[in-house]
Amino acid sequence: MLQTVSVNIIRIIFLILLQALVVSRVQLFDGLIFPWIYIFGILMLPFETPRWLVMIFAFVVGLLMDYFSGPIGLHTSACVFLGFMQTIVQNVLAPREGYDLTQRPTVQRMGLAWYVTYAGVLTLAHHSWFFFMEVFRFSDFLYQVVHISLSTLATLVLMTIGQYLIYNSKGAQG
Amino acid sequence: MKNIVALLRRFYLFLLFLALQAIALTMLFRNNRFHGSEFVRHSSDWVGGIYSQRAQLSEYLRLGEINDQLSLENAQLRSDAQENYWNLRTDVDTLNDSTSIQRYIYRTAKVVNASVNREKNYIVIDRGTLGNVAADMGVISAGNIVGVIRSASEHFAVVMPVIHSDFKASVRLRKSGAFGSLVWRGGNAQIADVIDIPKNIPVAPGDTIVTSGYSTYFPANIHVGTVEWVDDSDNDYHLIKVRMGADFRRLDHVLVVSDIFKQEQDTLLNKVEQQDAANSKR
Repeated sequence: MLQTVSVNIIRIIFLILLQALVVSRVQLFDGLIFPWIYIFGILMLPFETPRWLVMIFAFVVGLLMDYFSGPIGLHTSACVFLGFMQTIVQNVLAPREGYDLTQRPTVQRMGLAWYVTYAGVLTLAHHSWFFFMEVFRFSDFLYQVVHISLSTLATLVLMTIGQYLIYNSKGAQG
Repeated sequence: MKNIVALLRRFYLFLLFLALQAIALTMLFRNNRFHGSEFVRHSSDWVGGIYSQRAQLSEYLRLGEINDQLSLENAQLRSDAQENYWNLRTDVDTLNDSTSIQRYIYRTAKVVNASVNREKNYIVIDRGTLGNVAADMGVISAGNIVGVIRSASEHFAVVMPVIHSDFKASVRLRKSGAFGSLVWRGGNAQIADVIDIPKNIPVAPGDTIVTSGYSTYFPANIHVGTVEWVDDSDNDYHLIKVRMGADFRRLDHVLVVSDIFKQEQDTLLNKVEQQDAANSKR
């Protein structure tokens, strides 16, 4: 239990630093593609995490990220939305027999199709919320759609690659 | 019952969502309605510390590139410095006077290379055709004659100085006005010879030699040097050793003298000479 908590905290700190110091510096096509990979740390919370805790966690993570980039509240807002959606998406995608609560939503445990659906929907939700809040207007709508789609795709690809790098094929550990 | 609990559960989650979202949006819009534009970063706090660490690291990794940039900038600054510029306005002392018209134009130049130890010495100055410096113009330094421009490129000109074995100029004794030729025969770079002055003309050490003004290279009465001693071993003419006023070992700034009437004078002389030649043939 304690180990699971510390693993998740250390991972999210690492991801926030990685995001702020490395990934955010890489601007592809003048910022058209802008992946926010730190949400990986929210998506990877174990199924057993209480849903209120997921949202508080997301709130804190968003606030930390805001301290590194952009106005305070922007990431917070998007992450709270992500945390809320995460519970809903998990409910919708739940297998017939229910989740193994000690597990986490990894490719190795849940399968690639499930994982891509889960992470894809949530990343899209987060990025859409974030980028529309950031611009705060609906002009250049087409550009925003392309911007969000490509960024979501990039985040998803990076997170999936990260999964294969971090977890072994058994996906056993907490 | 189960449904109600599930509904409440989702409801309470939604309430939590609304509460957290309200906090976030309040923070977002508290100070700035249109936040994206006027966001001010707190550079003094711990985030700023982390960012400055990162900046130091990337700066360290980019040291080579930064070095290149700096040296490039140095080179640019150096070439911007005043001393690297060619002053295109080279005409000095231009005079407009209705009772007299100007004959000689003086232009400044700097010596960039010079030799003194050979028999055929040359001086290179930093003026060329772009500075209206051309061949056959005289060069003087601090009022003393130095030489004659031999050829000029765009930015440079080569001067044949007095201390060149082919140099010859028309000079005269200022006191008596007797004419002679200034030549140099190697050896001491400060001592030149004045020849072709007959022995009946009195010459004493200390006498001043100036240009005659007969050639189109120099105006009249430009200082050449002073008589060091006189060798009278020859039968008809003095051999006058002249200590030149210009120090060829320390030339720096010189003036280039151009004669506006040069072409007219040379053309006229050529014409007369050709006429005479034609007459004598007849």
